[in-house]
Amino acid sequence: MRRDDMTLSAGPTTARRDTLPAWLLLAPFLVAFGLFFFLPALETFWLSLTESSLTRTSAFVGLDNYHTLLNDPSFWDSVGNTFYFSLLTVIPLCAIGLLMAMLVDRFAHAQGWLQGTFFLPFVLPISVMTLIADWMLQPSSGVVNHILGGQRAWLADPHWALPAVAIGTIWWTVGFNMLLFLAGLRNIPAELYEAAALDGARGFTLFRTITWPALRPVATTALILQLIASLKVFGQTYILTSGGPFNTTRVALHYMYETAFTQSDAGYAAAVAMAFVAIVILLSLLQVWLVKFLAGRDA
Amino acid sequence: MKASFWTIAGAVCAIALAALWAFPLLWALSTSLRPELETVSANFHWLPQDWTLDAYRKTLGAGNVVRWLFNSFIVALLVTVVTMAISLMAAYAFSQLRFRGRGIVFGIAMLGFLLPFEALLVPLFRTMHQLSLINSYAGIVLPQVVSPVVIYVFKQFFDAIPADFREAAMMDGAGPLRVLWSVYLPISGNIVWAMAIVTFIAAWNNFLWPFIIVTSNDMMTIPLGLTQTYDAFGVRYAQLMAAALLGALPVALAYVLFQRRVTQGFLAASGLKG
Amino acid sequence: MASVRLRGIRKTYGDNPVIKGVDLDIEDGQFVVFVGPSGCGKSTLLRMIAGLEDITDGTLELGGVVSNTVEPARRGIAMVFQSYALYPHMTVAENMGFALKLAKMPKAEIDQRVRHAADILQIAHLLDRKPKALSGGQRQRVAIGRAIVRKPEVFLFDEPLSNLDAALRAQTRVELARLHKDLNATMIYVTHDQVEAMTLGQKIVVFNGGRIEQVGTPLELYERPANLFVAGFLGSPRMNAFPATLAGHTGGLATVRVPGGGMAQVAADASQAQGAAGLTLGVRPEHLRLETGGDAGIPGRLALVEYLGDVALAYVQVDGVDGMVAAKCPPDAPLPAPGTSVRLRFDPARAWLFDEQGAALPALRERVAATP
Repeated sequence: MRRDDMTLSAGPTTARRDTLPAWLLLAPFLVAFGLFFFLPALETFWLSLTESSLTRTSAFVGLDNYHTLLNDPSFWDSVGNTFYFSLLTVIPLCAIGLLMAMLVDRFAHAQGWLQGTFFLPFVLPISVMTLIADWMLQPSSGVVNHILGGQRAWLADPHWALPAVAIGTIWWTVGFNMLLFLAGLRNIPAELYEAAALDGARGFTLFRTITWPALRPVATTALILQLIASLKVFGQTYILTSGGPFNTTRVALHYMYETAFTQSDAGYAAAVAMAFVAIVILLSLLQVWLVKFLAGRDA
Repeated sequence: MKASFWTIAGAVCAIALAALWAFPLLWALSTSLRPELETVSANFHWLPQDWTLDAYRKTLGAGNVVRWLFNSFIVALLVTVVTMAISLMAAYAFSQLRFRGRGIVFGIAMLGFLLPFEALLVPLFRTMHQLSLINSYAGIVLPQVVSPVVIYVFKQFFDAIPADFREAAMMDGAGPLRVLWSVYLPISGNIVWAMAIVTFIAAWNNFLWPFIIVTSNDMMTIPLGLTQTYDAFGVRYAQLMAAALLGALPVALAYVLFQRRVTQGFLAASGLKG
Repeated sequence: MASVRLRGIRKTYGDNPVIKGVDLDIEDGQFVVFVGPSGCGKSTLLRMIAGLEDITDGTLELGGVVSNTVEPARRGIAMVFQSYALYPHMTVAENMGFALKLAKMPKAEIDQRVRHAADILQIAHLLDRKPKALSGGQRQRVAIGRAIVRKPEVFLFDEPLSNLDAALRAQTRVELARLHKDLNATMIYVTHDQVEAMTLGQKIVVFNGGRIEQVGTPLELYERPANLFVAGFLGSPRMNAFPATLAGHTGGLATVRVPGGGMAQVAADASQAQGAAGLTLGVRPEHLRLETGGDAGIPGRLALVEYLGDVALAYVQVDGVDGMVAAKCPPDAPLPAPGTSVRLRFDPARAWLFDEQGAALPALRERVAATP
């Protein structure tokens, strides 16, 4: 019966007492937020409705940019590349992350080392990953070709460039998913396993009947976070392949960047940005709904 | 779960996976400790035949690697300190103070989750241009201090602190600001550390924004500078690997030293309990 | 002057009235207990006196001064929280001295007061420890010490014993009573435990659903409950309630028809009662006698006996009564086997009648002189 919801007991006296300190404390954040998020967000929206260059805002053109967008094959190609990248990374990242989490959980005495090995790449800057990836994928002196044989120039090959970047990304970011699953695993009470063991379950059955159901919410979170993150890919493709070869690794954000900074067409770039955000939100909602639907069906 | 088949299979798996994951960095290390010619020679060797620190010497001497490390450090430190300060204050206001419009303002702040930073690049660039902050520390730092994630984590934490402490402090005569300073902050030590380290790492690793805002070589941060090395060093892989490892060293060290806190911080940021 | 006066106090959360009009006077130096079931509003009222909740309507006077909007720290009040609320990062000494530090008292004086309070509570050896190194009982003393140090006019206690185990609770009760005597301060104590209320309070205020049911000394409330709620709340096992119908007055005593068809007499004045039906007859377990023969009394079947060492509780199933009727019997009395039919009898002067609304019918003066 405690006062959990603050707003309920906010009477006139306490509200009066708190108001000034509250706004004082919020001021720095609100200023920064306004200047560096809110206003730019509004400006993106406004820009998308104009014909502008990088430094000058010009004529209002209504939805022209959006019309161009809908018919722009380069844009849709870049969206396709982004989806392809997501496809290549989201599920492997979650599956491998889960596997790693289970291994780390199982071999608890080696935990520090094991967890550290898997997670360390995640704290590294992107350019470390790209430098190493580029070196390893060199056609003649790269270690990958030494192991697999052949002289393939992975990053210059239209078929392999994006998958190569995807694999590099998996190495780089899987640690985070491992962490999520690890936390999920640790939240499963030991008693559940003990009871199941007494009932005679072992090995894979344990996983299927206890672990996986308990991990489902975590898996959902991981999948959603991973999907959103993968859609926002930019750095790896920009640095490793500059969007090539033949624009096969030019992802949506890269297209937006090019439009804005290379072609100096800020208005169109803003439209691309807005469309991109819309796609991300839509997909996220879709995924959330899909997960709820599946969960409801099983429950 | 004592079935020994699974244990052995698991162990094999763990070792294989760990080896696979450690390999790239180890290989980079091996590469960096060779003379340049050896890296591209036809004779392939896993370990350096001719151990040398040449690559490191050249890297630290040539280009601006030291300068970049310095920039990264300044930027990451500033971002961390400022973000922690304004986020703690805001989170406390949202969590513990009662004022009209609290819900709305919090909702607006959380909109930050929805809109990706990437979509704001152009307007941010223009804003910085108008404020004459292009290519400056302030320019790099400022947009990064807006962190709905950090505020959300702190607010959740503050919410979970029993209200009794605040009320006891009120009865003792502390005003709202004093309560934050004397009661909430000391209790929050752990979570603040965790988020600080995570913020530091993220700021250190941030590529996209510095990429946009920095225009001169000596204002670059390490992630940025490392991509320049492609051109600067041509195809000198030992030096490239040395540069990469140097760039990775500070954050890797931070992780090794504060493993638990880093883990806790990232988990908190993702919304799950650490 | 450490008196507290509440007039017409009301509190509403949105559309939800939680305190529905409270009038109360607390004299300087009294130990007053607010008691009642969960959710009755006693804690809310305490917090309103403390200033932690706003008062929607009515006036609160502290020492004669209207204090509705005065800040908590300026009301001359100190509060001991149910969870103690000790600042975990401060030592015991710092916890106790915090308020004084905020009031910018000189360090020497703070130290002196802290030491003095620590001596009274016998925690002087703990002054340098942090709360997590203390036991529950020790923490509770620190919480009390923190209040003492401020030399307030009024002490507020919010269920301070509920986190202690039974043995510690009994011991601390005694100490609190002694503390009150030593400090001679006004103390307002909230609890849901009626044993604490009965043993500690000089004056007990029984709350229910945001209203005061009755105010009085422990004995007054026990022996002359104003209504069914108070009668049932104090006393353990609770008072037994039988549905009864008024049949008339005989020899000055009210006669009622009881479950089982028989008649019983009660030393109550039913002349002003609204209706004859729907009355409730109340008899405390210690006043019920179990008999195996005869026609007098209320018939029932013995269901179960609990032997507690100093007393035996006999539970009887009576037709027409929900739940079991409890009767206290001497521990070594010969009791029939479960299942036996028994009859329950009582002394008319040891029973109450309550009307349809639950209000107690006035007791007759004879009961004052009635034999036990």
